[in-house]
Amino acid sequence: MASGQVPSGCFSILYFAAASTFTSKASEFLPAPLDARSLFTTLEERYPGITAKVLSSCAVTVNLEYVDMDANADDGGDVSCVIKEGDEVAIIPPVSSG
Amino acid sequence: MIAISHTLIRQSVSTAFSKPSMSLDQTVESLKRQIASHESLLEDLRRQLAEAQFNQPPPGAQESQEQTFQASDDPLAHDLSHGIAEDYMNEVFAALSRPQGDHSPPNRWPLSQDEYKRYGRQLIMPEIGLQGQLRLKNASVLIIGAGGLGCPAAAYLVGAGVGTLGLVDEDVVEHSNLHRQILHSTARVGMSKVDSALVSLQSLNPNVNLVPHHGRLTPETAISTVQPYDIVLDCTDTPASRYLISDTCVLLGKPLVSASALRIDGQLMVLNNPPRSAGDPTGGPCYRCIFPKPPPPESVVTCGDGGILGPVVGTMGVLQALEAIKVLTRASTSENEQPVTEPPTLLIFSAYANPMFRSIRLRARKPKCAACSAHATVTPEALNSGSLDYVQFCGMIDPVNLLSPDERISAENYAKLRSEVNPYTGMEPAKDSHVLVDVREKVQFELCSIDGSVNIPFADVSGFPIPQPTASAAIPDDSHWVHELKNIPDKPIFVVCRRGNDSQVVVRKLKQLGLDNDGQRWIGDIKGGLIAWREKIDSDFPEYY
Repeated sequence: MASGQVPSGCFSILYFAAASTFTSKASEFLPAPLDARSLFTTLEERYPGITAKVLSSCAVTVNLEYVDMDANADDGGDVSCVIKEGDEVAIIPPVSSG
Repeated sequence: MIAISHTLIRQSVSTAFSKPSMSLDQTVESLKRQIASHESLLEDLRRQLAEAQFNQPPPGAQESQEQTFQASDDPLAHDLSHGIAEDYMNEVFAALSRPQGDHSPPNRWPLSQDEYKRYGRQLIMPEIGLQGQLRLKNASVLIIGAGGLGCPAAAYLVGAGVGTLGLVDEDVVEHSNLHRQILHSTARVGMSKVDSALVSLQSLNPNVNLVPHHGRLTPETAISTVQPYDIVLDCTDTPASRYLISDTCVLLGKPLVSASALRIDGQLMVLNNPPRSAGDPTGGPCYRCIFPKPPPPESVVTCGDGGILGPVVGTMGVLQALEAIKVLTRASTSENEQPVTEPPTLLIFSAYANPMFRSIRLRARKPKCAACSAHATVTPEALNSGSLDYVQFCGMIDPVNLLSPDERISAENYAKLRSEVNPYTGMEPAKDSHVLVDVREKVQFELCSIDGSVNIPFADVSGFPIPQPTASAAIPDDSHWVHELKNIPDKPIFVVCRRGNDSQVVVRKLKQLGLDNDGQRWIGDIKGGLIAWREKIDSDFPEYY
């Protein structure tokens, strides 16, 4: 888990459940700022296949706030959001077992 | 019955060993038959025990039934708390107490003596108090799934004194459930989970009206099953059931406490809270608002495949009970006014992270949600008619069928190959005549493995890049295992996994990496994996799934 200080020029990203399994990481730091629209492409470059297998069904949060990743802004989408230095992003796949 | 079975066992054991003339084969057969017969006898005894336990009146049940009669759904209790004329009240008291005999004094209090004692520790908390307890008592809760989430959730809600608790499940108790599904017991393995849970819950609190619902919730049965309840707990284990339950709760206007857990992670949400009608933006979001797209079916991992730590799923189930109590006891600010609800959150639990809990602020309902928006396409008619196919919506995994028959070997034939003299060469079998690659995760390989097998975890193989023809001929960054397999170019490679799916993917990959030397070396998998190996060859092989 990302703990302590986020290095300057970075944001931290947390991977939960299937996202953690896919990346083999609980968290890491990525360069900021980053347009939220580019988040999935950035992750796809680092982890080929992650969009189809994990991200397409995930909830995404920035600073513990749910972000709607649907592109259509009048649909309530938030893709205009920019991830800033020091932000905490989380990738939260639905867990369905119990 | 029990005495008879003891005699039977003694007799049969002595029979099996007292006839030296009997061949070893016959003895084995005879023992197998007797074991089977005693197992079925044992199963029958367990069932009888469970039934007897279930029907056994718990201590003080007689008394508490009377108390229940006086207090639950009792117009008198209601009137007492809301005030009626004293002389009229005395008349009613006299009339009501007569049939019960004079030994039980009329109850002057809204709860029975047993209830004051039983719930005292929560009654004295301002969050609950008398009004909260009465709300719980008048409430009915439906728990869907009597597993790792449903067991602790049900235990705490029944303990807290909800009036009615319904339980839905179609499964039977298995040994692999017992480390986390705390209402079941070793003696009740093989019993239906609903019946087993009811035995525990009944003995925990006989004041609660328990309603069994045997079978799985389907689109056709969802509305009629959920309708009578005030609140629903989703304690199920598939994406399809999660969407079905959420849609049903939106259609019927029921708040939904949804939780899930896998390995060391859990999630918790209170959905459709407040439960306004579809299209009302002031209602709470539903499951589809948060997760509009189901995960790809091949990425869905069950507790059986991925594993689950008991206290992780237990934590989530306990939190579901807590959220249900909060919703049910929430005080209205004034008469006829909707109680104030907390803003929706998604609680993420990660047992090995620091902090372990993260609370995510959720949005209001999604403006184009298929279930709870003004554009909703999920309707009661569509649900009842079965035209909404949740299984199809969530996708199905096709059985893995990547290999041709000559790339696969049955467990039986592989066992022969290990044990028999080669009919062509007359060579004694040797363990190192071939390579057996076990592609389960390391932790599973360490639990048990076939003698002589080597472990190359599936993730290491599937994540290994296939060399591009345009790139240099050599495989870049050769892994240790690729080298090892290359260094023994003549030995056939047999790949094995748990069920025979991953092994097929690995065989394909090894061939793509050129390890079959253009078809000169045989590479194939063992059909049905270690499960088949256990069933057909080695019944001693541990069954850990």
